[in-house]
Amino acid sequence: MSMITTSQTIGPFSHEAWKWATDACMPGTLKIDGPSILISGVIYDGDGNPINDAQVEAWIPDGVSAEAEQAIPGFRRVPSGADGEFSMRVPLPQPATRGEPVMYVTVFARGLVKHQFTAVFLEDDSGLEQSAILNQVPEARRATLLARKNGDAQYHWDIWMQTEKETVFFDYA
Amino acid sequence: MKFDSIEPGTWPELIYPAYKSTVKRGPLQPNLRIEAPLPVSQNIIATPRILLPHDADLTAHGETEPLGEKIVVTGRVVDEDGKPVRNSLVEVWQANSAGRYWHSKDQHAAPLDPNFHGLGKMLTDDDGRYRFVTIKPGPYPWGNHDKAWRPAHIHFSLFGNVYAQRLVTQMYFPSDPLFDYDPIFQSVPDEAARQRLISRFSLEHTVGTEMLGYEFDIVLRGRNATPMGL
Repeated sequence: MSMITTSQTIGPFSHEAWKWATDACMPGTLKIDGPSILISGVIYDGDGNPINDAQVEAWIPDGVSAEAEQAIPGFRRVPSGADGEFSMRVPLPQPATRGEPVMYVTVFARGLVKHQFTAVFLEDDSGLEQSAILNQVPEARRATLLARKNGDAQYHWDIWMQTEKETVFFDYA
Repeated sequence: MKFDSIEPGTWPELIYPAYKSTVKRGPLQPNLRIEAPLPVSQNIIATPRILLPHDADLTAHGETEPLGEKIVVTGRVVDEDGKPVRNSLVEVWQANSAGRYWHSKDQHAAPLDPNFHGLGKMLTDDDGRYRFVTIKPGPYPWGNHDKAWRPAHIHFSLFGNVYAQRLVTQMYFPSDPLFDYDPIFQSVPDEAARQRLISRFSLEHTVGTEMLGYEFDIVLRGRNATPMGL
């Protein structure tokens, strides 16, 4: 029997305590050496309503060297806005990272009793078919992990907690 | 590290109707268990440069001492093998002694304390230990159901040594009469797992006439850590 400490919801009042890290990745504060892309989206509940008090964290392993000045290089933390929106600027992935997530994402919210892990890939990544992670995801659900290009250096990726669009959430083995 | 599957009942139920907002927010599909080398072997790196002078003393954020019962909370963060999780970031946040959060969305008709914001962070030491000084939080009502009151608790956010160890949880206090009525606490099916969220009074960590001590040890997932730099 595992003796792990179990999870409890983040609740609605994390923002002040988590702000130091949120501030560090705000436009104007965030410093990235080299080209970057913007990934934006909305987090939705099972009724298709936006979740306005979620926290979305991202780990960009490839971003660490490009942002050594950051409080925590390669880390993003963004509270969802009034309309469930969030966006993160991340370094443009290097070719060597193809088939890898552009960012690993952790989702927290009031009413979510345990954080959920997921990951985002760029739809125009030429290595998707060889992706070791995507190949473990049932084909019908892979699209939930793909960010769609919607402008120059801009991508769109939504998080769905439920419905037929439900994002694939992981348990890392 | 290796991440064993967690036995049913240990994690809270993602859909737990007594806690109403879980119904439309908890994923309906089971988590997809995958092999992914990076999340189980590497992590975001937190360094002491992110720490401010009083981050581990929540009673030192105002012009004078906050109101309420000053306490010290400490414990060890370990993995499933019992090995210390060193140099890892721990964030805490909580209500003040009257049960009010320093947060624009908290509408509870209890007073704010200008000298207490209830926010802190620290790194674990070489033994995996964290320690912070704070005020014992008060219980507070919430809108989930009639006479819904949360047991007093402190929120914990832990980054662990590898990414897959990330955990957000809540620490409770011994003998709280509200445990039986709280759907957030009760959303964890396993009785022993619930009990592990309750801190222990500690005479050892009590500081003279200044403050009582509470001990709360945390076990993160993962075992067979490679010794490299961890």
